[in-house]
Amino acid sequence: MAEKQSTPIEKAARLLDLVPYISTHQGVALSDLASEFGVSESELLSDLNTLWMCGLPGYTPLELIDLEFESGYVSIRNAEILQKVRLLTKDELVILLVGLDLLIQSIEAKRVDLLNAITSLQVKIKTIIGDIATIEPIVNSSYRATILNAIASRKNLQISYHSLIRDELTKREITPIELMVDHGYEVLQAYCHHVAAYRTFRLDSIADISLAGSQQSQTMAPPEDEAFKMEITIKKRIRSTLERFRIPVPAETSESSGSFTAFSFSQDWLIRSAMSTLAATEVLAPISSRVELARKCRKTLDLYESALFSKIS
Amino acid sequence: MSRKTERLVNLTIALLATKRYLTKSEIFRTVDGYEGTPESKERMFERDKDDLRNLGIVIEVGTFDPLFEDESGYRIKPENYQFQLGDLDSKDIALLSLAAEAWRGAALDSSALSALVKLHAIGIETDAEALPDLAPAIISKDINLASAISAITSRTVISFFYLNESLQQESRVLEPYAVASRYGHWYLFGMDLDRKDLRSFRLDRVLGSLSTKGRTGSYEIPKTFSVESHLLETRSQQIAQLYLRSGRALALRARSTEIADEKAPVGWDRVKIQYQDQERMAEEILWYAEDAVVLEPDTLRSSIIESLQAGVIRYG
Repeated sequence: MAEKQSTPIEKAARLLDLVPYISTHQGVALSDLASEFGVSESELLSDLNTLWMCGLPGYTPLELIDLEFESGYVSIRNAEILQKVRLLTKDELVILLVGLDLLIQSIEAKRVDLLNAITSLQVKIKTIIGDIATIEPIVNSSYRATILNAIASRKNLQISYHSLIRDELTKREITPIELMVDHGYEVLQAYCHHVAAYRTFRLDSIADISLAGSQQSQTMAPPEDEAFKMEITIKKRIRSTLERFRIPVPAETSESSGSFTAFSFSQDWLIRSAMSTLAATEVLAPISSRVELARKCRKTLDLYESALFSKIS
Repeated sequence: MSRKTERLVNLTIALLATKRYLTKSEIFRTVDGYEGTPESKERMFERDKDDLRNLGIVIEVGTFDPLFEDESGYRIKPENYQFQLGDLDSKDIALLSLAAEAWRGAALDSSALSALVKLHAIGIETDAEALPDLAPAIISKDINLASAISAITSRTVISFFYLNESLQQESRVLEPYAVASRYGHWYLFGMDLDRKDLRSFRLDRVLGSLSTKGRTGSYEIPKTFSVESHLLETRSQQIAQLYLRSGRALALRARSTEIADEKAPVGWDRVKIQYQDQERMAEEILWYAEDAVVLEPDTLRSSIIESLQAGVIRYG
């Protein structure tokens, strides 16, 4: 694998961070140090060789940083000036602030100790950089941990899943395969024992999750393709409507009046999306979808026209 | 190439060790690596200062004697160089490390790594057992998120092209103030310099890359600005009342509160729900077709009826 070469500035930053790290981890193994800093051992050796040439003006052995690493274990002396851990950059503070937001949303209310610790860290950070970044996660971090755990230990999962398409909450046992990102959402590819087929589950639609028994070896059918398609034209709110149908924005954006094709593994999803965007879209094909939409519109409109559902007077 | 690295580290050590300001000539004389003509030394030094500033190292400029127009000197104050979050215990370090881990493999992977190294360098053993089993993750790999964050922290104006609803590219110039993630999307907030107003943008609707304009530190974020309170304010809430078919429209139901209604048709529940944008709300309600009926407000109800009537004609 080709190594990404650090720039001299990145390298300098790393050298400044190596000194305090080695100072608090005297005798650390070269390989551990390399992985802590995310570099190869050869790059680390070049770092240490450079650091060896650094020190206070004068640059006699008395002033130079003294490093010992021939044995494969690293120790440092005569580096008091750089021994303090460097301050966090503002970008680093931003990611910590946001990361703490993720934690606070996934920790149970009874862990008051942790919640208080997070809040006071966030207050400290905000006094330095301001209130400039926040996240309201849509996925619970403990659910993600459970999934990773199940994949690693080859266990099944018991989930309560809220299907937006079927508009129902079901309990199912699944064999997790892989966490992925699909159209900007985190999804879990899994074999669902409830329907005896592969399914993709959105993590933000999992209402509850727990580890179940060990996985049984079994033959599983291959995942389904996005087999259904629908041809539509869009009259307004083109950007939002394309996003809803997960149709990529065409490269030539002036060609916005033409028709688009949406794909999905679920016929139901296409119909609901078309129903949802009734004000902006027209489905051209297939004809069966047009028939289904006509039926749904009529049925819904009937409700609005019935006295039972009349406006509040 | 490693000469440059060496010189940056030696300069840092020299400026950090000194108790008084060092003049440029002292620096050139004593710090290893400044070679060549006076002009080239000068250029080297200016670049080195910028590079160190970009690493977050604050170099102070001062004079020895305020009464005389003395040659100015340079130093790094230890209190501006070292870790600034004060005393942390092992629980704090564990929480902060986990917070940084969330960004591994995502848009700010390198900042996550450098933050982790610093946290670990403090040398306090963390007790992972003390924390519940959590796997926080940011999934955005959008380089514009990283650019937006550095533009905010360095107070740099940015410009970009934004895709509007008709798929046209709008050119925007922004003093960026904040980023926030809601409903799974990242938003960028800032002062739109053409429209002279605070605006927000969904980052995945930016076409191409953000580009920076002008110098760092070219504006101030108003002291009163807080992204949290801004988000609360702009959530202008309208309230709709609906009938939902019992056991259906689960996502709508989850966000709503049920209200008692003796006159509700059998098999239906009356609920109220807060919303911000009428078109979005209408789309969400129509997703459930004959399982959700809006009672009020009138504008929302009529827009849905209108869409349904058009649908009956279009598809009938």
